[in-house]
Amino acid sequence: MAKAKKIPKKTSKKASKKLTLEKKVTPEGKVISEGKIAPEKSYKFDFMGKRKIWFIISSIIILTGVVFYFVRGFNFGIDFLGGNLMEIQFKEEVNISELRKVMEKTGYGNSILQSTAPDQYIIRTVPIDSSQKATILDSLDKEFGIYRPLIQDREVAPGFSRQIIRYALIAVAISIAAILIYVWIRFEVRFAIAAILELVHDILIVLSLYLITFREFNSTTVAVLLTILGYSLSDGIVIFDRVREEVRLDKRSKFSDIVNYSINKTLTRTMSTSATTLFPVIALLILGSQTLQDFAFGLFVGVISGSYSSIFIGSPLLVIFNNKFPKYKK
Amino acid sequence: MKQKKINIATILISVILLGLCIWSILKFPVKLGLDLKGGTQVILKATQIEKETQDQEGSDTGVTSEAVDKARLIILNRIDKLGISEPLVTKDYSNNIVVQLPGVDDPQRAVEVIGKTAQLEFRIVEGVDENGNPKLGPVLLTGDKLTNAKAGYDNNGQVIVQFSFNAEGAKIFEKITSENIGRQLAIVLDGEIKSAPVIRSKISSEGVIEGIGSLEEAKDIALVLQTGALPVNLEIQEVRTIGPTLGQDSLRESLLAGAIGFILIAIFMFVLYRGLGLISILGLICYVIYFWGILSILKTPLTLPGIAGVILTLGIAVDANVLIFTRIKEEMLKGKTKIVSFREGFKNALKAIIDSNVTTLITAAALYRFGTGPVRGFAFTLGIGILMSMFTAIVFVRSILFLMVDTKVMSPKFIGVKLSTKELIKEK
Repeated sequence: MAKAKKIPKKTSKKASKKLTLEKKVTPEGKVISEGKIAPEKSYKFDFMGKRKIWFIISSIIILTGVVFYFVRGFNFGIDFLGGNLMEIQFKEEVNISELRKVMEKTGYGNSILQSTAPDQYIIRTVPIDSSQKATILDSLDKEFGIYRPLIQDREVAPGFSRQIIRYALIAVAISIAAILIYVWIRFEVRFAIAAILELVHDILIVLSLYLITFREFNSTTVAVLLTILGYSLSDGIVIFDRVREEVRLDKRSKFSDIVNYSINKTLTRTMSTSATTLFPVIALLILGSQTLQDFAFGLFVGVISGSYSSIFIGSPLLVIFNNKFPKYKK
Repeated sequence: MKQKKINIATILISVILLGLCIWSILKFPVKLGLDLKGGTQVILKATQIEKETQDQEGSDTGVTSEAVDKARLIILNRIDKLGISEPLVTKDYSNNIVVQLPGVDDPQRAVEVIGKTAQLEFRIVEGVDENGNPKLGPVLLTGDKLTNAKAGYDNNGQVIVQFSFNAEGAKIFEKITSENIGRQLAIVLDGEIKSAPVIRSKISSEGVIEGIGSLEEAKDIALVLQTGALPVNLEIQEVRTIGPTLGQDSLRESLLAGAIGFILIAIFMFVLYRGLGLISILGLICYVIYFWGILSILKTPLTLPGIAGVILTLGIAVDANVLIFTRIKEEMLKGKTKIVSFREGFKNALKAIIDSNVTTLITAAALYRFGTGPVRGFAFTLGIGILMSMFTAIVFVRSILFLMVDTKVMSPKFIGVKLSTKELIKEK
């Protein structure tokens, strides 16, 4: 069984070329997408040759993020800074400067005001107690009239985030360690290291985009980052799986060719899966409310970065490792 | 032949499970979390009572897990007495107490009642310090020996809380009062001296607390005294109230996004994989039903992050199919027969499916173990989603495909492969 399989596989590259030719002359040639997948090696993009370019692109994004980190920092939400957030629906349309004036009168003029609809505002203040909150709400009620109960009302003690961050870091450390061990067992140590570097890359890219776009960084963001940690690797694993299979079958080709070939073979799948995952994420991004958008934004960047890095970061790393510590044919 | 029987049996079992899920969904509708139906969530951190140096770090407060559990039960009891229906009081990984109250009119009051330590102490006043504050003696009796407490008015129309001791408490109280006639007895509630009446005679079973602002407050004090003192101090970490309209909007938006995503995926799969795509859409529908069914059987409330998890797993669920289908097509284009292509395709794709899903599952597990609140909900749905999607792809869809592989329906056109004439002949 295994032997029978080996024969067509070893010569598969040559055979595929023949197949391509055959395909082109096929009379019912109104091939749509499936034609592109069909012939082996017809997709021969050289991903490995230009690996420096991909590394540079990623580095530029991450460096921009670092610059923004020092210039402006993250836009932390109240779960990180502590404070009070109220979303209020007024009985009339309210102008932001009018609202600011009323807030100044109550002594909270430096609060963050954000309009979610003409008659709806999010007001973010420093931590306040219940009587101070009542004062603010009463004066707003007197001035414009407000609906109760509020649309939302959150109060976070300063320092609460320390716990969130602490446990998030524990979760990250444990998942990275577990993934490392798993990939090590199922593949090889060099695959595991490439996978982890790919992960770190994805996390850094997403963090950079949060920095560049100044999107609010809150506990939702933490959840998103952790999800990307788990999800973005799946593309990489599929490519690695193919490489693992091909090196076993094809002992003659150069390792970089095998990696290139494997990426090409899995390319349709990588694209299809990114697309099918992105459809609902994009729908959420467009239709969703604030919290959902926060989720969707991170996932959107993460899914794209995950597919990108599996092709342009993780796989070239495998080749680089093999050049440094040759195990397969250089 | 034997294979065929196994496939039919697998499909039958899957369909029965599907029926079970639908039955469960209809019987126990999936509960919505607070962020979708509105309500108040309070996260409280437990710290030790009477410890002057307070430690800010989460679990290093020296509070035992048992104390937190006891506090949890007391809180549940208090909420019950407030007449709030369907409360949820849970403990998270870092020993925080998470209280969820759906649709409360006055969250502020609920929060105050929940968080009150209600440490009632009786101490003798032993003089006055240089600032004029009373100096108190040791704690002689505490509130845990009460049997009853109720709010009311005294003869002068002042608001009071009346309480009575149990047998043990009454004995101690009698001893204290008989030994200290003429001295002041301070009644201290949560560190605040409520009153310090002069003991005129021996009292045994009953007492009153004075110095209360309003009847409302008196009722709350009576309530917390009845339910007992908390064994820990509770610091409010987060209070979050979601109005009912916001929840409804979020639910509608996310369901709409999910539906649109689903339709786009279906179109995409059909265009790319034709007949196989249709089967994967069938698989996806089954996946959604399984998923929903599991949520309803486990009675897990669905939260907003949970929905995000569901939506993400829609993509993951078709991924397994994509992997299998591309491999099948690949094998067919190598010129292998249908049945061999299907077998090889499945076998080749299986490793990749398992490996890529396990890495995601690892993270979901870590998130669930160490996450708080929304993160946990997300991790839970992600984990369930991965398991269910693997089941539908590897077991259910596989059986359908293998049952169909010998039939005429499964033509190269159905699979979306254009074979050269030579291969078509071989196929026939």
